[in-house]
Amino acid sequence: MARPHIEPFCDRDVHFKNMKLPGFSSGMSYKMLSLDNDTGACSMTVQLAGGYQQPPGFSWSEMEMIVIEGELQVGEKVCRKGHYFYIPAGYAMPMMTTQQGCLVLMMYNTGEPSLEPSTQHHALAQVDLFHNIDSYMDLPWAMGNVTKPSVAAGCLIKLLNYNPISHAMTFLYCMTPAFKQDNISYHDCAEESYHLWGTSWMMQFGEVPTGGYFWRPAYINHGAFASEYGCIALGRVDSKLFNYFHYNPWSTPIENQNRAGARLYQRDPLLYKWAISYDHNHPHGPEDFEQTMQRRGDSGHEHDNEHHSDGTRHDHWHGHNHHNPDSPHHHD
Amino acid sequence: MTFKNLFIEHDVTPEVKAWLEEEIAEQEERYLAVEGAMADLAPMREKWYQEFFDRLTKHGFNQDGDDKIVIKSSDLPVKPEGREDKVVWKYGIDGE
Repeated sequence: MARPHIEPFCDRDVHFKNMKLPGFSSGMSYKMLSLDNDTGACSMTVQLAGGYQQPPGFSWSEMEMIVIEGELQVGEKVCRKGHYFYIPAGYAMPMMTTQQGCLVLMMYNTGEPSLEPSTQHHALAQVDLFHNIDSYMDLPWAMGNVTKPSVAAGCLIKLLNYNPISHAMTFLYCMTPAFKQDNISYHDCAEESYHLWGTSWMMQFGEVPTGGYFWRPAYINHGAFASEYGCIALGRVDSKLFNYFHYNPWSTPIENQNRAGARLYQRDPLLYKWAISYDHNHPHGPEDFEQTMQRRGDSGHEHDNEHHSDGTRHDHWHGHNHHNPDSPHHHD
Repeated sequence: MTFKNLFIEHDVTPEVKAWLEEEIAEQEERYLAVEGAMADLAPMREKWYQEFFDRLTKHGFNQDGDDKIVIKSSDLPVKPEGREDKVVWKYGIDGE
């Protein structure tokens, strides 16, 4: 994802802009937090003015949103602060209105913000993936040790969305008052956070207050960590979260990535050797037979030329084909 | 469960393209402001690094959760000669 490193940034420091994109009603204004220069995917703090009405419709992009302040009526449902939505691309949402106005964090994950008026889902929408929850009222806090090595005990999470293929996650996290974690961390994935309330501190970037935000590409040092009075934030990672902890504040992203590769070699030497061996460098990774194997319900035996889990398509030239029997990538 | 249609192909109008170009330009300004602010923070960060090292040698390094290990002073890293204290990396490994 080609979003630049924006850290730290506070949306309280900038003004709202009126949304000019087609489809959206007047009364919608936004503060851009980060934007993918290639795809238009973005995260925005959105202010919907009192009386705002958005007609039913779907987005061409997968999107997520959480109510930060105020009340948002979605169809018959009144959603208050902490209400979270995961909305697949092409999933038609009912009319959205707000009587008194509200503040919402909107994240368009795979394309620019869009609203196509419709009361019907798009034919390609994966409607079963839609879900929503009042994350403040209906989810308990859990220990933050979703991965090992783990964060310190005062960091708790509520898991909001999980992609079982990429292991991408969206979650609320909080730090208890007087939280401290004395290590420097980096990950193999990009990480994003928006502070819904409260202030935390990181040794590289200083304090991140309410409305504070970051989009951080992979392998960039962050931490030590602290929060004097506690905080609650929405966090996201775009693939599997693994904590590489260390205490060298001067290491670079390349050095961090090399260290991650060294750890992979030490932990999974056979997989490492296979991955780096000749002709296995497929741009989208090797084939996962579970995603491509013929199933009894299939109408025909067709190569998967639709979208991959990373949003890319497979039907383009990438240096070899899958139809030559002599190709190591051949499959019937 | 599959995740194949995270994005649905569609036409992007000139109006949308213009919006994207404007946002990309503003993001560049935002990035430069962040980069400048973080460069200005370098003297304070030197102090924070020293306090971090002091805590590691006195109270310990969080190696996993709340499991801590005290680091010997002799094991603390040395700043590589000539390396600037850089914390913002525009596109991470793709920008180095």
